[in-house]
Amino acid sequence: MGVLPLTVTDAAARLRAGELTSVELTAALLARADVVDAEIGTYVTRLDEAALAQAAKADEDLARGIDKGPYQGIPIGIKDILAVAEGPTTANSLVHDRSWGAGQDAPVVQRLKAAGAVITGKTTTFEFAIGSPDPTKPFPVPSNPWNLACSPGGSSAGTGNGIAAGLFLAGIGTDTGGSIRIPAAWNGTSGLMPTFGRVPKSGCVPVGYSLDHIGPLARSARDCAAMLAVIAGYHPSDESCVDRPVDDYIGALTGDLTGLRIGVERANHFPPGADPALAGCFEAAIATLVDLGAELVDVTLPWYDEVTTALWIMMWAEAFAYHRNDMTERWEDYYPLTRINVGRGALASAADYVQAARVRRVAQREVGRLFDQVDLIVGPTTAGGACTNEALADPTKEFGELFKVFTGYWDAVGNPVLAVPMGFTHDGLPLSLQLAARPFGEATVLRAGDAYQRVTDWHLRPSTLLATLPAA
Amino acid sequence: MTEPDATGEDIATTVRAALAAAGLSPTEEELAGLVAGYPAFRARIDALYAIPETRYASPALVFDPAPVFTDWSD
Repeated sequence: MGVLPLTVTDAAARLRAGELTSVELTAALLARADVVDAEIGTYVTRLDEAALAQAAKADEDLARGIDKGPYQGIPIGIKDILAVAEGPTTANSLVHDRSWGAGQDAPVVQRLKAAGAVITGKTTTFEFAIGSPDPTKPFPVPSNPWNLACSPGGSSAGTGNGIAAGLFLAGIGTDTGGSIRIPAAWNGTSGLMPTFGRVPKSGCVPVGYSLDHIGPLARSARDCAAMLAVIAGYHPSDESCVDRPVDDYIGALTGDLTGLRIGVERANHFPPGADPALAGCFEAAIATLVDLGAELVDVTLPWYDEVTTALWIMMWAEAFAYHRNDMTERWEDYYPLTRINVGRGALASAADYVQAARVRRVAQREVGRLFDQVDLIVGPTTAGGACTNEALADPTKEFGELFKVFTGYWDAVGNPVLAVPMGFTHDGLPLSLQLAARPFGEATVLRAGDAYQRVTDWHLRPSTLLATLPAA
Repeated sequence: MTEPDATGEDIATTVRAALAAAGLSPTEEELAGLVAGYPAFRARIDALYAIPETRYASPALVFDPAPVFTDWSD
């Protein structure tokens, strides 16, 4: 079998070359989970038996010449707020109705299964994708494979840390205020938030109806492109899903950025307290993009604080509508930060909600005007590396602390954004670059991310934990 | 909207009343945290109304009069 592959692309090639079988790969990664999962809390539910059966089917199909694409036979994790027929959906919550989605696959999961993917389990999320870990609750407390004392970020915590720990090669996350890109950033992986409406979000427990996105996390932009090609496209069960053709995301990966105009956003991305290494890593990353042929233009995102506020207000209000009845009866069963975040939704008025939606509208127009001048806008994903779980869970944390992650603005306006690793903090934790494009411009962000990763290896660096595990 | 010169007591009353109206029963510690954070929270919301460009803008909300009702699990 040899050294286990890190990327989907490598694994897919080796499966087709007969150097590796999906059953061998899946069994080896499940064996790794036996060793480390209790420590890092990746899985809420493991689906070993079903995964090995899916792997055997993938091998059998490949042997018969049935090739369903790059994800055939590839072990992946699914965030535990999406329905997967083989296991319960918990949303990491005592409150969530376990009968919801029982025995059913979310449309995204249906598509991944049809593409031959091997689902190894349901991965840890922060409660309802809006809370934070709580050791007093009977669910895993996830940790970061780069430093076990740190959080892997969230809310797609288990998908992010599972890739970094080498427990699967890719996975599904969701992003309402940054929940794909933050764990991608803090675990040193890539993660793509597609355009709002590009991927159907039905079959997924909602956080903010007007803000939720489902998307891939994987080591590389190329692997994210291959997964997006599987999960993107209209589905009638999601009223916000857009019926328009799916681009050729893999075909867009040319490795060349000649002529690409990149807007560089520094004004809102370097707050006091940013990691000392952030600016240097960021400047080095954009210099690499220039070397690849891009042209730089300085830009400033309009109404940065207001648009980010609009995101949080609408998310909390929409989440509160979903949770109100349960929360009035089962307050103590919710995690502390879920109670605070969702409870804030009760402190905003209906007029505040509508005004936030008006801010989003005018911001979309102005951001659209920026994209008349540039093809991409880049900035850091967060101001620093992973913090501790305790810091993350602090319910007294000031609202302004949320402004040290730079993800929410893009959820509010709905554009696609790719996060890719770009270096390390002063104390060795991953840092990340965000690349945003016009609506439905996923091919452009993936092209840039892939080109960057052809000449850098940040995305291939093994986490501290993975480096201690047997490579084969 | 909280008046600019609202006292701590006013703020506590506002927060307590809003949560009670919503049927929520936070602990005293949680309530104290929400009260402490409320002025900044309210100020950020009030800033949303200070963007002149929103004066005649429609909200980013869409109502479909003829929705297709399809269950995702069908």
